[in-house]
Amino acid sequence: MPVSSLMTQPPASPKPQSEPPVVEMPPRKRAIIAVGATAGGSALAGGQYPVIDAIKRGETPEPRRHESVMGVPSVLDIRDFQLWYGQNKALHGINMPIAEGKITSIIGPSGCGKSTLLRSVNRLNDLVDGVRTAGTIALQGEDVYARGVDVISLRKRLGMVFQKPNPFPMSIFENVVYALRISGERRKAVLGQACEKALRQAALWDEVKDRLKGSAMGLSGGQQQRLCIARAIVCEPQVLLLDEPCSALDPIATLRIEELILEIGQRYTVLIVTHNMQQAARVSDFTAFMYLGRLVEYGRTADIFQLPRLRETEDYVTGRFG
Amino acid sequence: MSRSFAEFRRRTISSIMFALCAGGASLIIAILLLVIGYLVWIGVSSLSWDFLTTVPTGDVANPGGMRHAIDGTIILVALASAIGVPIGVLAGIYLAEYPGEHVATGPLRFLADVLTGVPSIVVGILGYELVVVPVSRWTHGSVSFSGYAGAAALAFIMIPIVARTTEEMLRLVPRSYREGSLALGATRAQTIFRVVLPGAFGGVATGIMLAMGRIAGETAPLLFTALGSRLLTHNPAEPFPSLTLQIYTYATGPYPEQKRLAWAGILVLLAMLFVVNLSIRIVASRHARMRMGA
Repeated sequence: MPVSSLMTQPPASPKPQSEPPVVEMPPRKRAIIAVGATAGGSALAGGQYPVIDAIKRGETPEPRRHESVMGVPSVLDIRDFQLWYGQNKALHGINMPIAEGKITSIIGPSGCGKSTLLRSVNRLNDLVDGVRTAGTIALQGEDVYARGVDVISLRKRLGMVFQKPNPFPMSIFENVVYALRISGERRKAVLGQACEKALRQAALWDEVKDRLKGSAMGLSGGQQQRLCIARAIVCEPQVLLLDEPCSALDPIATLRIEELILEIGQRYTVLIVTHNMQQAARVSDFTAFMYLGRLVEYGRTADIFQLPRLRETEDYVTGRFG
Repeated sequence: MSRSFAEFRRRTISSIMFALCAGGASLIIAILLLVIGYLVWIGVSSLSWDFLTTVPTGDVANPGGMRHAIDGTIILVALASAIGVPIGVLAGIYLAEYPGEHVATGPLRFLADVLTGVPSIVVGILGYELVVVPVSRWTHGSVSFSGYAGAAALAFIMIPIVARTTEEMLRLVPRSYREGSLALGATRAQTIFRVVLPGAFGGVATGIMLAMGRIAGETAPLLFTALGSRLLTHNPAEPFPSLTLQIYTYATGPYPEQKRLAWAGILVLLAMLFVVNLSIRIVASRHARMRMGA
């Protein structure tokens, strides 16, 4: 359930009467902070954010996972997942189920590990030297980090779209059917049908149907990104991973991609990383807030943006901190 | 006053520097024009249809043409490329795509650079010792100096050049191509041969053609391997002619008619290299256009 009302009305100061009880923050103190925040923005001193402070001390506080997100059937289950780049620990005990058939977004300041988490799902982090992991990420019950997992066939079950559009230097048609080609599909009719279907789903068919043999590099940035989405969904992935798919695009192209994500979300499970909070609010059903490699709060997008349980989350999504 | 002096000084230094740079550039162009002009002046008068289509007669006053040598050079370069290009490209892929996984690639790369700089006469002697002599022993002398030995020596020069340019060109291919392909479930080999190598095609092709141009002009590696021949032969198991060897033989000989032929041979060799270089440019610009998406 995307929070479309947020498009026109960015989250202003929270209404005091709708705030859920927060154990760490007595309401009185909280009101004072709110005044300070409206007046001075980042004038908040240390000690106002107990969870963030604990994280900065190196602790891993128990995240606020709303009941609403824990009950739904999940396609992907991340359990106590940890990741190190050499000596650097980038992810600390991440626990989060990803709801099947829904759009889940991960937000958080730069360097909080959201992309790392996303790239852990299809084990793209394996390419980086010195990466170690612990814990499990289960795709439909099977741990993708289990011994003997075939990474190639795992990645065939997942689609991924990157920050910068990365069409291959070949024709539009060959880009779309690439995943089929590498699996050995040669029948022209099968490839042609799959190409048209994927391009239609990616809302690109009408623009490129007459130039399928043309180079993909000639498309505009937004078209290239939609082509990359078509390429990622041609094999009907169980989860579609989007790594800040709009960060290199202009506002109009961004809008089209967001519409597309909403549409694709009706067919596929989508996990999207974004640093754009309005985008998370507009497109996703669930939102996870991460900070310095920890999950901080995780719940329905509407709740995260309108009824967050942590002061940290509230101030982050309203742009007062982070 | 002092201000205008500073300005005068600045302008003077600037003009002097410009004059020096322009002088250097003109000198290079002048030398090039002088060489080409001299070659054309002397060579064209000896160039004829017979030169391109007939073979040496053995008569020093009327020595015939160089068809055998032109064919020989083309065949030698083709044979050397057939050996050198696959090995060089694969070695380049190894250096660029599998860094430090089995063998440390640093020393390997250094080795390739050293090989590129090995004087070509050394390659010729190596070809003699490692190919000509053993083959002659095995075949009881029926094959000794041969086109194959010459091609092997030329391939030896070609491999490090092709390997290093291939490596450099593959490194220029954005990492996002590789990640995109791997994320779709491609193996590393599929990623390299379907996405990375095509992405670097123009650069790799340019490197290959540069190497072909380089070996087409080599003489020293062929002296003790292909040996040269005055007969028209397309059988690389025999002593084999090449333009450079024929030019060398005629130019160092005593007969004026043969010296004239040597000049014409040089002109033909330069024309061939020019064609190779031109095709490099065409391939490179086509590739650039493909990448830009026109």
